[in-house]
Amino acid sequence: MPFLKDIEKYNSLSIVGLEKNTGKTECLNYVLSRLRDSRKQIALTSIGIDGESRDQVKQTHKPEIELSEGMMFVTSETHYAKRRLFSEVLDVSKQSTSLGRLVTAKTIHSGKVMLSGPANNAEIVRLIADLKTKGVDLTIVDGALSRKSLGSPAVTEAMILATGAALSANIPQLVFKTQYVYDLIHLKEIDSDLKTKFRGIENGIWALDKTGEVKDTGIASVLMIKKEKDKLFQFGTDFFVSGAITDQFLDFLKSQKQVNQIRLIIRDFTRVFANPETYYAFVKKGGKIQVLDKTNLVAITINPVSPDGYRLNSDELKLALETKLQVPVYDVMRIIQEMSE
Amino acid sequence: MKFRKAISEIKGLQYLAESLDLQSPMGKRFLLESDMLCNETNLNIEYDLIDKLIQSVESNEKTISDIQSKLSHLRDIVGSIANLDANLVLNDVELFEIKSFAFHCHGILNLQKELKHELVQLPNLSALVDLLDPQKTGIPSFYIYDDYSEELAEARRKLKIAKSENGESEGKLEELFAVAEELESKVREELCDKARAFAGDLRIALNRLAHLDLLIAKAKQAIQLNFSRPELLKENTRYKAMFHPMIKDELQKQQKRYQEIDIELEKSVCLITGANMAGKTVVLKTLALCQYLCQFGFFVPAEKAGISLVHRILLSVGDDQSEMNGLSSFASEMMSVNQMVELSQSHENVLVLVDELARTTNPVEGLAIVNAVADIFYQNNTRSVITTHYSGLDSKFRKLRVKGLDKDLGDQRITGKNINSYMDYSLVEDNTGEVPHEALRIASLLGINKEIVERAQNQLNKNASKEEIL
Repeated sequence: MPFLKDIEKYNSLSIVGLEKNTGKTECLNYVLSRLRDSRKQIALTSIGIDGESRDQVKQTHKPEIELSEGMMFVTSETHYAKRRLFSEVLDVSKQSTSLGRLVTAKTIHSGKVMLSGPANNAEIVRLIADLKTKGVDLTIVDGALSRKSLGSPAVTEAMILATGAALSANIPQLVFKTQYVYDLIHLKEIDSDLKTKFRGIENGIWALDKTGEVKDTGIASVLMIKKEKDKLFQFGTDFFVSGAITDQFLDFLKSQKQVNQIRLIIRDFTRVFANPETYYAFVKKGGKIQVLDKTNLVAITINPVSPDGYRLNSDELKLALETKLQVPVYDVMRIIQEMSE
Repeated sequence: MKFRKAISEIKGLQYLAESLDLQSPMGKRFLLESDMLCNETNLNIEYDLIDKLIQSVESNEKTISDIQSKLSHLRDIVGSIANLDANLVLNDVELFEIKSFAFHCHGILNLQKELKHELVQLPNLSALVDLLDPQKTGIPSFYIYDDYSEELAEARRKLKIAKSENGESEGKLEELFAVAEELESKVREELCDKARAFAGDLRIALNRLAHLDLLIAKAKQAIQLNFSRPELLKENTRYKAMFHPMIKDELQKQQKRYQEIDIELEKSVCLITGANMAGKTVVLKTLALCQYLCQFGFFVPAEKAGISLVHRILLSVGDDQSEMNGLSSFASEMMSVNQMVELSQSHENVLVLVDELARTTNPVEGLAIVNAVADIFYQNNTRSVITTHYSGLDSKFRKLRVKGLDKDLGDQRITGKNINSYMDYSLVEDNTGEVPHEALRIASLLGINKEIVERAQNQLNKNASKEEIL
């Protein structure tokens, strides 16, 4: 049973697709089906809205999430009302999301459900902690990588990444794009006492001065860097950036003489929105990026079929990824097929 | 006057409201929606309850904190109750909320039995608990249990068997699910019909639990901040060792002492004079705060208080944003004084508090205005306090003076930071009509530019010698 042993060590796991149709939902259903026989209490939730049938635009098959008896799940009131299973309400949140309050429930009879969940990191962390007090051993978060989302799957202890032909129909290109995310996930985590200093900061660019004190550079966001670049280096070369890291920002830093001393600290790897070329150029010049929250990548799953029907060679893709990346790679659909044969 | 409005006007009240240890969303709503009471009987009932709670907190702290913990789990189910009343079928989430509410209400009802006195009378919801907990699990989670209908249980069984056999077609499973779901809806409908009978009791419980939450918070605050129960009087309002909690707290943070003061207000006008920085404004603000607290059913910040109830409290301290409505500070003050005078003339039972009346105009006319306004309050027996720096007040008005800088200061230099240790803030009766001339003394003690003080002193000396010649 691949990678499930690894999962059992963690309290929380997110499953993230690098692109639509990279097989995230199949991966999730596979993990759930494998965990069915373990004695662990599993709970499932999502970041923001998911399970929605937006893929009907592309007319591709989009399976819903199948929960078996005894599994817990958290979803919004709106989606709870649409559930296709029988379940017991255990709790309702006091805070509301755009789809109503969050319902925590336990499956009485197996069936399908649409998932939605908290929209920001603090709420996800709180929810995972709350589920733990309700006896949950492992919370699985159906995650998304999105610039729009304030919530990041990186707050979970472990992560499975789903990639595939939907990202690129060319194997070297697909490997390159996947490796980029792999490298970002492996960005170094900062010391825990430094974490507490940055944890509450909501916006702007902050610097760490020689004495280790956190100072506001007065630059409201990386988008303002062109206008206010003179302020950047007033305290030093260690920066905490609360928002996104863009191409423009890395390009600017790359061309500064201090570039090899620069350390950027970001919330987690999902905050990097720069192109891989720009990122690698910055790193090559000696720039460093570190994160507040780091997750452990336990596996990569692949879906060799693209939404328009193009099919890559599964073995070739698996081999190409495993050669480059130090993580097990699985074709989940193939495993499922082989099992049923 | 609702509490919601009062806190927007009185900062000290908002400060206290924010520091209340309220546990439930309805406790907070209950407080904000409560009316200022002018009825002695109702207020005394509330004070009695707070008294009982203070005793309970002191003798039975554990039980009270257990009650608070249950209160913290309560949700505001006012919407679900309304839906129940409106003959709607509730969904599982709403039914869960009602069940969980009934559970906690029942728990609090039992906890109250551990106390010496019953605090609020809660309806017995055990029949509702039984209805929504057919398996007697004793936990508040909820779904449409198989126990409600043999038919439903059978339909679910069939679905489960069909699923486990793996061979059934998707269509067949859908069909079985639909049958079970239909039966579930039927049960839910019947359940809501039965639960509807409890809507009235739920509403009462919601209200009383909100009140209980507030009472506990009031009692704990009274203990923590040393508030005392006001005695409701017909005639004079009297405070012994009255204090302003927000300012006291602020001073304590700076490790400074707060001097409590005694004051008595007749049903007439009273003028307060005193040096600058002598705390006259604080007296007015504290009087307003205490009167509001008393009439919203709180204990008050004083060692002892006897309070005469009023229908309205009018406070003018001149820190309102007069620029915002296009009036000068003088015009803005006159508009509010005008309202006070009109209420006085129609013999309304009000408490009027004016800080430095007519201070933004010339002292000659200013003094005339103070005497005129005070005379109207005097004639109409309006309970009122006016602070002023003007000399030449009509001798028939009662006057109080802040003792001020009576202590021997020696070479000590006074600053805004330490003035508080040299100032005697207590109030004394004063019949002279003259006000203390301490502005220059305080200014020089504060260490401001010597030239200002010297030139001003020369000016005063010149004036004095002119008068002598005349």
